[in-house]
Amino acid sequence: MAAEDLPSEFDVVILGTGLAESVVAAACSRVGQRVLHLDRNSYYAANWASFTFNGLLTWIQQHHEESQPEEVQDWSSLLEEGEELIYLSYSDSTSISNLQQTADSEGVEPTADLPRPSAIQGQSEASRKKISYAQLVKEGRQFNIDLVSKLMFSRGSLVDLLIKSNVSRYAEFKNVTRILTYRHGNVEQVPCSRADVFASRQLSVVEKRKLMRFLTSCLEETEEQQGEMNIVFSLFLCDQQLGDNLEHFLLHSIAMVTEDTPTEVGLASTRHFLRCLGRYGNTPFLFPVYGLGEIPQCFCRMSAVFGGVYCLRHSVRCLLVDKDNRCKAVIDSRGQRISCSHFVVDSSFSLMNFVSSCLPPQVSMVTVPPIAAGFPVVMMVELCSSTMTCLPGTYLVHLTCQSVGSAFDDLSPVVTKMFHTPETDDQETRPSVLWCLYFNMADGLDVEVEGHNLPSNVYLCSGPDGHLGHDHAIRQAQLIFQKILPEEDFCPPAPNPEDVLYDGESLLPTGGGGGDNSGWGEKGEETKENPQTEE
Amino acid sequence: MHGRVKIKSTAQQEEEKRKEREKKLKIYIAARDACFSKRKEGICDDEALQLTQQLLSSNPDFATLWNYRREILMHLEAVKDKDEVQKIYEAELSFLESCLKVNPKSYGSWHHRGWVSARLPQPDWARELSLCDRCLSLDDRNFHCWDYRRMVVKMSGVPVDQELGFTDHLIGSNFSNYSSWHYRSTLLPLLHPESPEPLSPCRKTPQTSPPPSPQTHSHRVCEEQLLKEYELVQNAFFTDPNDQSAWFYYRWLLGRAEREEMISCVYVSRDEERVAVAFSRPVNAQSVGLLLVLDGQPQRVEWRSVHPRFKHSPVWICDLPPGTISDITNEHNLTVHWTEKHTHRDCALYTGRTESYCRDSATDQELFRSELSVEKTSVLQSELQSCNQLQELEPLNKWCLLTIILLMRALDPLGYEKETLAHFQTLKEVDSMRSAYYSDLCSKFMIENTILKMEYAEVRVFSISDKNLTTLCHLDQLLLVTHINLSSNQLQRLPPQFAMLQCLEVLEADNNNIENLEGLFCLSKLEEINLKNNNISTLADLQPLASCPKIKRLDLRGNPVTQMAKIEAELAELLPSVTDILL
Repeated sequence: MAAEDLPSEFDVVILGTGLAESVVAAACSRVGQRVLHLDRNSYYAANWASFTFNGLLTWIQQHHEESQPEEVQDWSSLLEEGEELIYLSYSDSTSISNLQQTADSEGVEPTADLPRPSAIQGQSEASRKKISYAQLVKEGRQFNIDLVSKLMFSRGSLVDLLIKSNVSRYAEFKNVTRILTYRHGNVEQVPCSRADVFASRQLSVVEKRKLMRFLTSCLEETEEQQGEMNIVFSLFLCDQQLGDNLEHFLLHSIAMVTEDTPTEVGLASTRHFLRCLGRYGNTPFLFPVYGLGEIPQCFCRMSAVFGGVYCLRHSVRCLLVDKDNRCKAVIDSRGQRISCSHFVVDSSFSLMNFVSSCLPPQVSMVTVPPIAAGFPVVMMVELCSSTMTCLPGTYLVHLTCQSVGSAFDDLSPVVTKMFHTPETDDQETRPSVLWCLYFNMADGLDVEVEGHNLPSNVYLCSGPDGHLGHDHAIRQAQLIFQKILPEEDFCPPAPNPEDVLYDGESLLPTGGGGGDNSGWGEKGEETKENPQTEE
Repeated sequence: MHGRVKIKSTAQQEEEKRKEREKKLKIYIAARDACFSKRKEGICDDEALQLTQQLLSSNPDFATLWNYRREILMHLEAVKDKDEVQKIYEAELSFLESCLKVNPKSYGSWHHRGWVSARLPQPDWARELSLCDRCLSLDDRNFHCWDYRRMVVKMSGVPVDQELGFTDHLIGSNFSNYSSWHYRSTLLPLLHPESPEPLSPCRKTPQTSPPPSPQTHSHRVCEEQLLKEYELVQNAFFTDPNDQSAWFYYRWLLGRAEREEMISCVYVSRDEERVAVAFSRPVNAQSVGLLLVLDGQPQRVEWRSVHPRFKHSPVWICDLPPGTISDITNEHNLTVHWTEKHTHRDCALYTGRTESYCRDSATDQELFRSELSVEKTSVLQSELQSCNQLQELEPLNKWCLLTIILLMRALDPLGYEKETLAHFQTLKEVDSMRSAYYSDLCSKFMIENTILKMEYAEVRVFSISDKNLTTLCHLDQLLLVTHINLSSNQLQRLPPQFAMLQCLEVLEADNNNIENLEGLFCLSKLEEINLKNNNISTLADLQPLASCPKIKRLDLRGNPVTQMAKIEAELAELLPSVTDILL
């Protein structure tokens, strides 16, 4: 969309298409606000994005390049009486750091031809076939590699919001089929649902009873638990006389907390895990088909259906602030003045450490306790090709942890233990690594979104956080929405397309429930084609 | 607000929906009437097929239309060639699939599907089986689909182990599933039948015994498989002890023994020239081919049950022709044949004896134990141990307690009596809604124990006072009892079955809540009745006593009936034989 085409007045201008920003956009459009949603990247979802293999290589390349300082232009001609300019600067390159690909990624070496047995617990060896780096590149469109690895808690705020707002109609989801944990050098299944406990071969019947009883008792907050609040969760578990097996499962895989987490927090996250069980299958997690990058896009789509205007590769250079320290307008990257009542921006200002690493190979969630003192707890998500995130025959594995050192230092020991890499001995039983990328990303949780002395109608959205779920981003979006429109309902259910009346005066796209305005069309080209259409 | 998307108001939507519904209803009624008139005229054409399809796809529970459809299809079957019929029926199946999507539990659709599948010239059973798979994965408790699946399996000969694997799969995903457990219980005996055991030597001569009927062997599973099933079901009830389906299956696993069908007792009384016969289960003696042979001569006798209420009863009596056995100096040999079951029982009445009987005692038969199992004691013992283990973890779980009680009874009913009573007490507290059930069950077990004690002591006195009995049962086992003491219990009635105590002379039932004496019917030897402190309130309640000719003594002290005016005179008229009435 050409800059000249943009209307010069909006209610809300949003810069950045991360999850929180996209939810705010959808919520505002839905209640009739005129929304302009911009992203300086050529792709949606910012650090929440999913890339094809080739897209990811491009992304890596971009981050290796020096970011060019933007020329400061003089916009004073656009200033009105009593207004001041605040320039926006981007520090995206600092939110991603320590980018590192593994040696075999060049593909010319024979090591890149290593076979990849399917799941972690080596499934049929017969299905092994050689996949070369060249093939990865050639079939790259079959990958949808998330920058951040997250799962959706099936009773988490994201799922609730998707249902409530009817945004869920724009996406498909798969169940995570099993929860695994790394223990004594083996990967074991964690029995968490009733059916798992029943079927478990590694638990005795007495352990089964103890586990079920503990889990059932966790569902309610009892006085007995209250009495134990002053000790840490691992000691609390110890007091329950559950035995080593169960303590490990509960601490690392069900509560997913560390040894020194307070009991209160441990019980709360156990409860959350349990409440999510059984809503959609045997584990508490869902994963969006085609990758996590789909979710922000779904909200963008909802926003577009209700009149939101979308522009990629389009940014805001500066804000125009009046004497009362309110943002009256913005100047976009093409020098157009666009007035707005509210401005929401992705907080690519700040920078902290949070590690994510991508490794290309059932959908499994694996918890890996610290492999040695001083190492972090690692969450591993293994996606199979039916999630439309990787090539058939390969698995996509995400490892995430709170960083201690660089991503490579933190995660490569786990990778070496669990996978067959060129560095390890010939352990053919383990899955082989075809390609591997390490990087650190700033943790959105550490970003202070308040108190930057910002104009009162400018709101910051932090990037992805280190938690497994999406609650942080959704909470943030809701808070921002409430500040913008304190009287309005947050994402009320969208009506069925046939109940929407389109009249001539409306700015809305006509027919088919929308999604075809120019901003949207651009997006359609980029993401909707990439899955599985390639030979 | 400007720019807001306009949405139809609820009233608008409602109105539109209402109109839509009216329109649909009109079409529906017109089509229905057209169908009915066509059927009346006996028209079986394609249009009728169309019309019924249209109606049934919106309402698949319209049984009359399915019938009409079947008439049409049968007509088409007669006039079309085989390939065409195949096509018609295949179309029918896919139509049915859409009906099942509308209502997956429609009786009509499933029945019709079964009908079509059976008539299809070349049925595709694999497809039908996968339909069942799909349906049951959506709702594993859809019994219509289970029924249909059984039919498909039967018709297409699906291997039993494959079906067992299917139940494994369903139980694995959710074990709260009676249908799967039940299906398992029908498959296991086919797949792992118990190795035939040597016939018990005490009864049945090998020459005359018929080949084992499939019935008697169909419910047993070989021990190796049983142990695996115990493990599986234990996993279920340790995981969730509150789930009943696993416990019920467990009980099935433990309690598969069936009592042998036989004549358990023959009693003959010289004075009354009467024979009483007890069977192992209630029968209708008039229709089971009962034959009485006295000294080699078949007798024409009238069999009657002990109470006119019973068409089926475990005890039957008959009067011998007058004078046949009345001479005390004669010896007689009596045989009762149960021709239907190829079994019989002899009884000799020796010179100088006024009565005689021949029977298997409850102790010989391990009668009450076999109710649970004939399994090896060691297996039951280890099952009891794991249940006790669970009970330690879940002391208030009713299913566990009840199962422990049953296991204890199977192992040693008398030895565990004290523990059993304690567990019953806990059960009544934790499951107070069913306390009456537990009281009745406990009464039953106490009666069984008392019968065992009586028979070990080889007496004909049955005494069970002060045991909180709420009900009476196993009365067929008390055919020979002459003296019964039921004092200080919580009985409310002497039920019609009480009339099976054909030898009873003295009844002690003081301190109960008895208000009904129906069972004191035609007890020809009954002389003394003690009913102190009960709840008999009207003269009519005492009416049954008039049928007992020998009553001499009746104690009714502490009953409301004694407050009636002129009660003594009324009683004297009602019961002329009584010489000693206490009011």
